[in-house]
Order: sequence, then structure tokens, then C-alpha cells
Amino acid sequence: MAIDPGTEANLSDDALELFVEGADWESVVDAVEDDRITVNMGPQHPSTHGVLRMVLDLDGETVTRLTPIIGYLHTGIEKNAEVRTWVQGTTFFTRMDYLAPLFNETAFCLGVEKLLDIEVPERAQAVRVILMEFNRIASHLVWLATGGMELGSTTMMVFGFREREHVLDLFESQSGLRMNHAYIRPGGLAQDVTEDFVERCEALLELLPRKIADYEDLLKRNPIWNDRLRGIGPLDADTATSHGITGPLLRAAGVPFDLRKAQPYSGYEQYDFDVPTETAADSYARFLLRIEEMRQSMRIIRQALDTLPGGPVMVADKHIAWPSQQSLGVDGIGNDPEYIRHIMGESMEALINHFKLTTQGFTVPAGQVYVPVESPRGELGYAITSTGTNKPYRVHVREPSFVNLQAADVMARGQMIADVVVVVASLDPVMGGVDR
Amino acid sequence: MTEFAVPTRTHGLTRVALPLEAIAARVTAHFPQVTATEAYGELTFHVAPEELVALVTFCRDDEELDTALLSDLSGVHWPVGDHVIERQASTTGWPEYRVSREQGVIEVLYILRSLSRNHWFRVSVGTPDDAPKLPSVTGVFATANFHEREVYDFFGVEFEGHPNLTRILMPDDWIGHPHRKDYPLGGVDIPYKNDKFIPPPHERDLREVID
Repeated sequence: MAIDPGTEANLSDDALELFVEGADWESVVDAVEDDRITVNMGPQHPSTHGVLRMVLDLDGETVTRLTPIIGYLHTGIEKNAEVRTWVQGTTFFTRMDYLAPLFNETAFCLGVEKLLDIEVPERAQAVRVILMEFNRIASHLVWLATGGMELGSTTMMVFGFREREHVLDLFESQSGLRMNHAYIRPGGLAQDVTEDFVERCEALLELLPRKIADYEDLLKRNPIWNDRLRGIGPLDADTATSHGITGPLLRAAGVPFDLRKAQPYSGYEQYDFDVPTETAADSYARFLLRIEEMRQSMRIIRQALDTLPGGPVMVADKHIAWPSQQSLGVDGIGNDPEYIRHIMGESMEALINHFKLTTQGFTVPAGQVYVPVESPRGELGYAITSTGTNKPYRVHVREPSFVNLQAADVMARGQMIADVVVVVASLDPVMGGVDR
Repeated sequence: MTEFAVPTRTHGLTRVALPLEAIAARVTAHFPQVTATEAYGELTFHVAPEELVALVTFCRDDEELDTALLSDLSGVHWPVGDHVIERQASTTGWPEYRVSREQGVIEVLYILRSLSRNHWFRVSVGTPDDAPKLPSVTGVFATANFHEREVYDFFGVEFEGHPNLTRILMPDDWIGHPHRKDYPLGGVDIPYKNDKFIPPPHERDLREVID
């Protein structure tokens, strides 16, 4: 959260300080030898996706340097997780990137499962894939909505958020929450999907392609959208790689790198889908790419629904499986009376196990793992260190938003100040993820 | 419209991934001091701080390894003392974790990934936690900039050669490095109105409710 001390005109000792106190503008401008000024943008700014602050060095209206300043939303989630059990960790990490909560949950759980050396039931894997892909669509819709709003298209904002709400309704029907679900748990899912899950997904798959085609038509032919995006925020493949950029930005530069294909997890290898790429490497290419990614996500969901296996959604090992047997009673969903009768009336061992799991949690073998998944913003990696206790020793999250933000400087240099908004929008940073 | 440079290296999965043994052999052939370990199907190289920059530069430029992407850079603090989990072996049968350290260590982990060959491995380097200091790899990977600032912020590791080593997530005037294990939990002033000093846990009277 510090201003880059920098080298050039930025805050050097002999930098000229100007105070505009009602003097004639011409006289102020004449006093400046070159037109180089430093402007602060954010942290409270409608286009900064939260609380992102940028210090812009400007030559006239051209950006010569962009320094992102972050940390305003730092909540110490990684540190908090060190004093919580492995299952409680899910509840924290889902709150990082709040537009992609299911990816955070899955990545963390995959790491824990790798350490535990357990295989998640196929049904849980398929449901994870379906929900993640719907989450990707919801995230890209928010990107389209906020990006549209920043360029003056409030219509797009309303449309994008409206369709995203349908996806969130699906999440709510399964997990009880619109966001921050904590639905995916180490070993499987918190509970099985509802009976109308497939029906709800089918309804969304009916609705979304039409809407997405509408948005594509609306924006592709829009002259303002074209003028504002084409050629703006260029980032070629080499620069992107050296800056650690992954996800849609890298693919828009022509690199078909997608972890779902490269290192399949959760059964992605069974599904037939393409990794779309673009070659223009500008903001418009990223727009086209994200639209196409939504289509590919729906292809994956279609196949996953068709082959959705039955069976349990949590590992059979009672030392790990979270005891959340629930059923629908007259007053809503609650603890399953059968299960309560079992632990309270029949089996002392079951009660002890329930008590130990819910208070202490399970222990995880010592070791270090790094598990990445392909989030809507790129490689989301969890570097987990365990010392064999019931709590993580250290969890570090490789947040794509955090890493991608470094490219803002390269992308904005030489562009106009108004294009900074486009550059940040096409990066799609989520400050909850950046600051963690 | 901006003219784009023709990519100088092959991107995209054009070649098959090297098996872990081949990666280990390739690296240790060039760096005899480096040791390789494998756990959970992941390969880790343990390298001395002096060799770090040479190693990651080699991995990036080597035709066989071709790790163009520094995926992740993170720190772990292992303070001085014994780290023993007694009940492991008897209850679960898992390998017992028993480490005794005379010197506290901050371990910094680099995840190097190849985009063309689709393999990745980890480079681990340790530095004493009383005066943590490591060479910066920002000259090799531009993406290390934010990562190293984060490790500096959380663990206090001085990265020599970093262009702008300042705090990144914590406030500028923050005292201490919060992800170190010796960082007190509690005992931090609350900088707001009607604040109360919350003492560290061992000084806290737990019968008294802090409101």
C-alpha cells in the first residue's frame, strides 16, 4: 500500500509542486516545463471494481506509468485459516474472490484431498464441475455488466446482473446461499443436490444461450463498444508470460493454456470442450473470448448433466466425512431425525465421532502441495502446508487477480487516461481476491 | 492499433511433459549442489540462496525445461524449536512429523511452470528468520515483483535487487510481519475511537469478557 518512490517525475525531491488557487489555467500550464503530471485515481472510484487505487503519471492525456496500490480490502484470510480447522477453512476461502467462490472452495478442497490421498465420489465431482462452470458464467456476466457500465452502457449492466441472478438462484437452491456457499467440503459436498437440480440446470441452459447471443449482438455492432475496446490495453504473449498472466488475458494473446485441459482435475478430462483463443490481444479480443468461454462452459454443463452419476456425494470414511445428514421437515431443512436418533439413542461411538469431527475436525498428513484450478480469471492455486494437525500450518493463495494486476502498467502505457478504465475492466480484477 | 511483437518462444502445449525424474536429472546435472525430493507427486528442488537466481534463469531458458511462467511465490515460517506431533503414528498410521530446528527458517517456495511442455515443479530456498535475506528474481520473472513484496510484507524477507520493496497488503506504517509464527496474536492497538488494548492470549484474563 505504498506509493512507488519511482524514478521519474513521480515525487522526486525537486519535483515541482503546483497549487491551483484560482489562477488563470494558462499561467498554470505555462509554469510546467513538460506536461507531465501525477494523478491519483481511486480507491473510491466507480470503475475500480472495489477499492483499487492507481497513481497515474500523465504526459498530457497519455499515461506514461500506472502504479496500482492495493491492500485496502486486506482481511488476513490466510492467517485466519491457520487457527481454524480444515473444514472451517472452506468458509474463509470462499470469501476471497467473491465472484468465484466455488472455485476457491474446490481448489482448497482438492489440496486437502491430495494431502489426505482420498478420491472424491464421482457424483460430487460432476456436481462440482457443473456448479463451477455456472459460476464461471456468472462471473463473466458480472464482468460484462460492470465493464459495460464503466463504458456507459447501463443497459448491459442491468442485463448482465439480471441473468447472473438466475445462476445465483440455482446456487441458493443447492447451498442455501447466493454467494460464499461453503458448499464444497474436503471429501465431497456438504449435502446432495436437490431433486429438481437437473431441472433447474436445464432451465438455465435453455435461457442463457439466448441471452448471451443477445448481448453479443448488442455489443458487437455497437460503434462505441468497438471504438472503446479495439486496440486498447494490448498485451502480447511474451509480456503476459513474464508477468505471470494466465486465464482469458493469456488466451486472448493466442496461448491456449487452460488448466482444465492441461492438468485436468475433478474429471474435466471426460468432457469435450474447446479452449477458445484470440490473436488480437486487445480488450475487444478479451470480450469475444469471454463470450465464447461462457458457451464452452454450457457445453461442459450439458455433458455433465447427461452423464451425472448417482451415488454418494461424500467420501465413505467417517473420520473425514462431515456429518451433515439433513432432511426436509415440516419447518424446513434441518438435522435428519434418523441420524439424530442414531447418534443420540443407538451408538455411543457415532456420537463421539460426531462430536470430535465437529469440534476438533480431522487431521491431515504433513506435507506441502500446490493445487491450481482454472478460475474465471486464470490460475487459482492453493499452496498448502500441513504439519499433520487438525489445522493448516500455512495456506498461500495464488490469486489470479493479484498477479494479473501487475500487467495494468504495461497495458496502460501509451494509452489515453480514459482508456485506463477499459484496461482495468479487461483485467477483471476482484479486489476481494487481490487483497485477500 | 498497436503492432504486436512476434512471440519469441513457442507457446501452447506443443510438446509432451517431461517426467519428474527427467526434470530432476536435468537440473541436478547442471547444479550438483541442488537436492531434489518428491512427495505427493510433486517435485521440489532445495537450493541455496546463492544459486537461486542462476537456477531459475536456467530453468526458464533451458530448451528442455522451458518454464516460462513463475506461477507462484510464497513463504512459510518455521520457527526455532521442536515441531512434533505425538499422536500421529499411533492413531492414523500416517508418517510422524518430527522436526527440531536450531535455527528458525523462512522457506520461500517458487512454482515454475512450463506452458509449452505442461510440467511444473517447486523450488524451495530457506533463509534464517532473524535476518531473512534472499536475492530477488524480478530480473528473471517480472511477475515476482508483487509476490516478493507480499513475502516481504508478511515475513520480512529482504529481497536484494527488488526495484521497490515496500509493503503491499498491510498499511505502510505497520509494525511487524504478521504471517511469522512469532507474531503475537492479539496485543495490537486498535486505532479507533473508544479503543481498548487487547492483550496477547497468555496475558489475557479469560474470565473477563472483552467488550
